[in-house]
Amino acid sequence: MEEKNGKKSQAIIEVIDFGPLKITGNFLLKDLQRNKEESPAEVNLCRCGKSGNKPYCDESHKK
Amino acid sequence: MEINEGQFSGGRKYKNEDITVYWKPSACIHASYCYRELLEVFDPSRRPWVDMNGSTTDKIIEVVNLCPTEALAWKWNDDKKNDSVDSDQLNHIKFRRPELMNSTDTDSNEQPVSIKIMNDGPIVLKGNFTLAYNGVKKEIHDSIISICRCGVSDHMPFCDGQHRKAGFEG
Repeated sequence: MEEKNGKKSQAIIEVIDFGPLKITGNFLLKDLQRNKEESPAEVNLCRCGKSGNKPYCDESHKK
Repeated sequence: MEINEGQFSGGRKYKNEDITVYWKPSACIHASYCYRELLEVFDPSRRPWVDMNGSTTDKIIEVVNLCPTEALAWKWNDDKKNDSVDSDQLNHIKFRRPELMNSTDTDSNEQPVSIKIMNDGPIVLKGNFTLAYNGVKKEIHDSIISICRCGVSDHMPFCDGQHRKAGFEG
């Protein structure tokens, strides 16, 4: 993700039609279910409930 | 879901691309200049009652400046412009609500958006961010939004609580 003056740009949360929730920019992801915390440049979160790698999308929605 | 509206410690605030308008309900004496002059933006019968897309930035500033109390005040979102505002801008926060001038409520001090994966529940987004869905982009300010993670909501992409009935695990 682009950074201006060392600062991450504002977060953009994109609902992909029939796909995951794509998140980029300045964010902090807390997974309360798995007790994990991270702030990567981009994540794709499962919205269909079928992923075998929750909370991330693993393309199971296409099956 | 309330768009372009956010709560903060000193009342509520409303944003467009250029400015933020602050509303302090406890200071309002119902002089009613705002809605008599610009009902498209200030409509007390609507929720949220301020629609920052209802007129131009210049017109909104002009009408906010008519408020005889500190109920309505405004600032530029670009903080560099706030220090040099002229004193004829009566309701700029520098003159009306100087306590807001040095608040952390500025775009240059943006907190990361909080994204929580709830236990067997939705994705909860909190903060200021751009939300894009169904081909539209919306600016969300200081709000909390829950996105369905189980796939059975009737109000996609938002959570409607059905994950419990559906027995969603994950």
